[in-house]
Amino acid sequence: MDVTLGLLPDSPAGDDGGGVPSGGSTTVKSILTKEDNNKNNMVMCSEVSSSYPVGDQNLGDLELGLGLSIGGGGGGGLKGKVVAGGGGWSQYARILTAKDFKQNSCSSSSCSVSIPNSATDSVSPTNGNSVVGWPPVSKAHRMPSLANENKSPTGNRISVTEQTKSKNRTVVINDYSNEKARISDKKYRSVKVNMDGSLIGRKVDLNAHTSYEMLAQTLEEMFFRRRSSTEAAKSSRLLDGTSEFVLTYEDKDGDCMLVGDVPWQMFLSSVKRLRIMKNSESNELAPRFQESHERRRTDVV
Amino acid sequence: MFPEEVLEHVFSFLNSHTDRNTASLVCKSWYEMERWCRKRVFIGNCYAVNPRVVIRRFPEVKSVELKGKPHFADFNLVPEGWGGYVYPWIVEIARAYPWLEEIRLKRMVVTDECLEIVAKSFRNFRVLVLESCEGFSTDGLAAVAANCRNLRVLDLRECEVEELSGHWLSHFPDSFTSLESLNMACLGSEVSFSALERLVARSPNLKTLRLNRTVPIEKLSTLLQRAPQLVDFGTGAYSAEIRQDVYSRLADAFSRSKNLKSLSGFWDVTPAYLPAIYSVCSQLTSLNLSYAATRSPDLTKIVSQCYNLQRLVVLDYIEDTGLNTVSMSCKDLRELVVFPSDPFVGEVDVLLTEQGLVSVSQGCSKLQSVLYFCHQMSNSALISISKNRPNLTCFRLCIIEPRVPDYVTHEPLDVGFGSIVENCKQLTRLSMSGLLTDRVFEYIGTHAKNLDMLSIAFAGDSDLGLHHVLSGCDSLRKLEIRDCPFGDKALLANASKLEKMRSLWMSSCLVSFGACKLLGQKMPGLNVEVIDERENVNSLPEYVPVEKVYIYRTVSGQRFDTPDFVRIMGKDKDDLFSDKGLKVAVLFCSNFGTFRPCCCTRSRSL
Repeated sequence: MDVTLGLLPDSPAGDDGGGVPSGGSTTVKSILTKEDNNKNNMVMCSEVSSSYPVGDQNLGDLELGLGLSIGGGGGGGLKGKVVAGGGGWSQYARILTAKDFKQNSCSSSSCSVSIPNSATDSVSPTNGNSVVGWPPVSKAHRMPSLANENKSPTGNRISVTEQTKSKNRTVVINDYSNEKARISDKKYRSVKVNMDGSLIGRKVDLNAHTSYEMLAQTLEEMFFRRRSSTEAAKSSRLLDGTSEFVLTYEDKDGDCMLVGDVPWQMFLSSVKRLRIMKNSESNELAPRFQESHERRRTDVV
Repeated sequence: MFPEEVLEHVFSFLNSHTDRNTASLVCKSWYEMERWCRKRVFIGNCYAVNPRVVIRRFPEVKSVELKGKPHFADFNLVPEGWGGYVYPWIVEIARAYPWLEEIRLKRMVVTDECLEIVAKSFRNFRVLVLESCEGFSTDGLAAVAANCRNLRVLDLRECEVEELSGHWLSHFPDSFTSLESLNMACLGSEVSFSALERLVARSPNLKTLRLNRTVPIEKLSTLLQRAPQLVDFGTGAYSAEIRQDVYSRLADAFSRSKNLKSLSGFWDVTPAYLPAIYSVCSQLTSLNLSYAATRSPDLTKIVSQCYNLQRLVVLDYIEDTGLNTVSMSCKDLRELVVFPSDPFVGEVDVLLTEQGLVSVSQGCSKLQSVLYFCHQMSNSALISISKNRPNLTCFRLCIIEPRVPDYVTHEPLDVGFGSIVENCKQLTRLSMSGLLTDRVFEYIGTHAKNLDMLSIAFAGDSDLGLHHVLSGCDSLRKLEIRDCPFGDKALLANASKLEKMRSLWMSSCLVSFGACKLLGQKMPGLNVEVIDERENVNSLPEYVPVEKVYIYRTVSGQRFDTPDFVRIMGKDKDDLFSDKGLKVAVLFCSNFGTFRPCCCTRSRSL
C-alpha cells in the first residue's frame, strides 16, 4: 500500500483531473475509513481563499474531510482534495515519503537496494543517509566505525551535514527537478589543525582555499612562519614529502588519511580536522595510509 | 498561620521546583515566604521569562539553571545563530547575586566574555556545568580557572570549545585545592599533563575526573594513584601497543581504586587492555562504553562481571548475546542506552535486534529508562517489553530507517507502541520510530496521561494524529515533531493547550505561515517562531508550509536577538491578514474527536 501524505483542504474544489503533486500519489484509504460509519467522523471546516490561480472562489462548497490523498477520488466517504494547477504548496516543500528514500539511494553510485523483510514501501538508503538529523544521534555519540568497508563516495550525493555542526545551513531535501539540492552551503568552514609537538591548535577556513597547494601554504605560514612570497614558486614541502612533517586529516569515519589523495572537493566533504604529523609517527596510521604514503615516497624519488 | 520561621523551615525540605511552585500558589503569604527562601532557580526555556523578572521575584538565589535551544538542536535541526545566548542572563545575575554559587547551562551560547564575568563576579562560585554549550574557547576556561578560588565543579559535557591552547588548566593557582569534579572529555586537544597531574595531586576531594581523548593510556595509572578517592573516572584514548609493564601498572592502579563506581571514556580501545578494569567491574554502578569500538565478546566479558550496574551505555557492538548476558548479570540495571555504531549505513553488520531489548526487559526488573537504536522491531516485541516492564518511565526507540513496519507482519507499529503507553502507566518520556499511523496517536492520547515529553518523526497520516496527542496527553510539556503530515488544523484547534506546555517544535510538517501568524496573534502568551532559511521566504504565499516552527510559552514577550531566518509571528500590530494570504477560520467545539463548524466567516477576522 502506497502511503502518501497530503495537506488537507488547501484549495477549493477545482479538479484538474490529472493534477497530482510530484511523487505521483495514488488514493489511499486511511485507517479511519474503516471506522467511517460510526462516530469518528472527523469533519473539519476550513475556508481558503488564495491568490493562487484557481478561478472563482467556490466557498459555499466547503471541502471537508480528513483525506489522506491528494489527487484522484477519495476512498470510501472521504473526499479527496485535489491540488489545482502545478501542485499548490508542494513545490515549496514536501514531506519525505518512502519514495524519497528510494530515489535518493538509487541516485548514489553504488546502489544496492536491500529490503530486509520489510514491506516494499521502505527502502534503506544503503550508502548513507540523506536526511538531516536522522538518525537522531548527537555529535558526541557519532562513532567511527570498526569496519572500513562500504565507504561511499561522497562526491555526488548530498552530503551528511550533521557531520560538521558549526556554521551549517541545514539541507532541505526537495524532489522537484527545477531546484537543485543545496549541498553543504557553507560560507565559512573552519577545521581545527594540530601539529605534533605543539600544544596550540589553530583553525583554518577550508572554503577560503581552492586547492591543496593553497591550503598547505597557509598551514606552513601558520606553523612554520614561512613567508609565502619567498616560497611562491616551490611546491609545498608538507605535500611533497620533503618536510619532516606530513599533512594528514581525520575524515568523517575517524580514519587518519594522507592529505592529497582524493580530489579536492571530495576532501572538503569528508575532512573533519587536520593534523600535521611527524614523519616518524606515520607508521602507526591505518594501513591504507601506509600504502599510499609509501607510494608517494617512491614517487618523489 | 504559622510563624515565618516555621514556614521557612518547612520550605527548606521542598527541593523540587514543582513542589516549590505549587507551594507558592497556596496563598500570598506563602508566595512571599517561598520566594525569599528559594535558593535554586530552574528555567527550562531561557526565553520564557526575563532575567530581571526572575531576580525581582527571587532575591536570594544561589543556583541558576537555564536551558536554551530546543532539543532537536542536538541533531543539527536548529540553524546556527538561532539564539540561546546566555550573556544577558549573566550580566543581570552578576549584578544581582554576588553570592551565587552555581550555574548550570544546557544548549546555550556561552562566550568567553560570559565566562570572564562569571569568573570575576561571584566570590563564592562553586559549580559550573555547561552541557551541549558552544561559543567559548579555552581562554574562557582559563579565566574561570584563574579566578574561581572556591570552584568545586567544572563540568563540560559535550560542549564545542574552541581550543586555542592546552595551557588553560595551568591557570588554576597552586593554592587551589577545592576541586571535586572535572569533566573535560569533550576537548579535543592536549592539555598540559604535568599541570593536570599536579592539579589532581593537590585536590583531595576530587571525586570525578573525566579526561579527554588525548591523555594516553600510559598516564592513567599515574592519575589513578594520585586520586584513590575517585568515584567517577573517564579514561582517555584507551589504546597503545601492548606492553606488559603498562598493562600491569594500569591493572594494579584500577584494583586499588576501591571507590570507583563509574567508568567512561575508552576511545580507540585496544581490547587487550580491557581486562585491566575487571577488578572494578563488580563495584561499578555506571559504565559508559559507547566510544569503545570493540566487538561483543570483549564487551560481554566486562558486563558479565558488573553485578551492581545501574546504568549501561554501549554501542550496538554488544549484540543480542551481550544484552542477554546483561539481562542475567546486571540485575540492578535501571538505565540502558544502546547507540548505533554506524548510523548512516543501511547494511546491517551487527547482530543487534529487538531481541536484545526484550531480554533485558525480561531479566532486569528495575529497568526504567531505555534509549535503543536498532534496525528492526516488531509489535510482539514491543508488547512483550511493555508487559515485562510496566515500570518504564522513559522509552526511546529509534529504528534507524524511517517508516519501517513490523518486520514480521509488515504492519505498522501502532499496536506495539500502544501497548507501551497502555501498560507503562508511569511513562514520562517517549520517542517513537518505524511505520506509525494516526492510530498510535489515538492510543497515546488515550493512555499516556503522565507523558511529559514526546518525540515523533516520520509518523502519522493526518492532523488527527496531532490532535489526539494535544487533546489527550494531560501532562504533556514538550512535544517535538519532524517530517509528519500535521498541519494547521490540529494546531489551531488546540491552541490553548500550547500555553500549558513548555514548547512545541515542528519541522518539515505542514504548518503554514498563515496559521503561525494567526496563532501568534491570538495567543499573546506564546512566541511562535518560524525558522525558515529559504531565500525567497518573504514572497511565499501564506498557505505554504514553513520549514520549522518553534512555539513556546513566555511571559517576556517576543525576543529581539533573532537572526534574519527567524520570524516571531503575529506580534506586529499591523500584521493582520493580508489580502492575498490564507484566511483560515477554524472553529470548533471541543468535544473529543469531533470538529463541528460553528461558523465560517470569510472576511471577518476572528
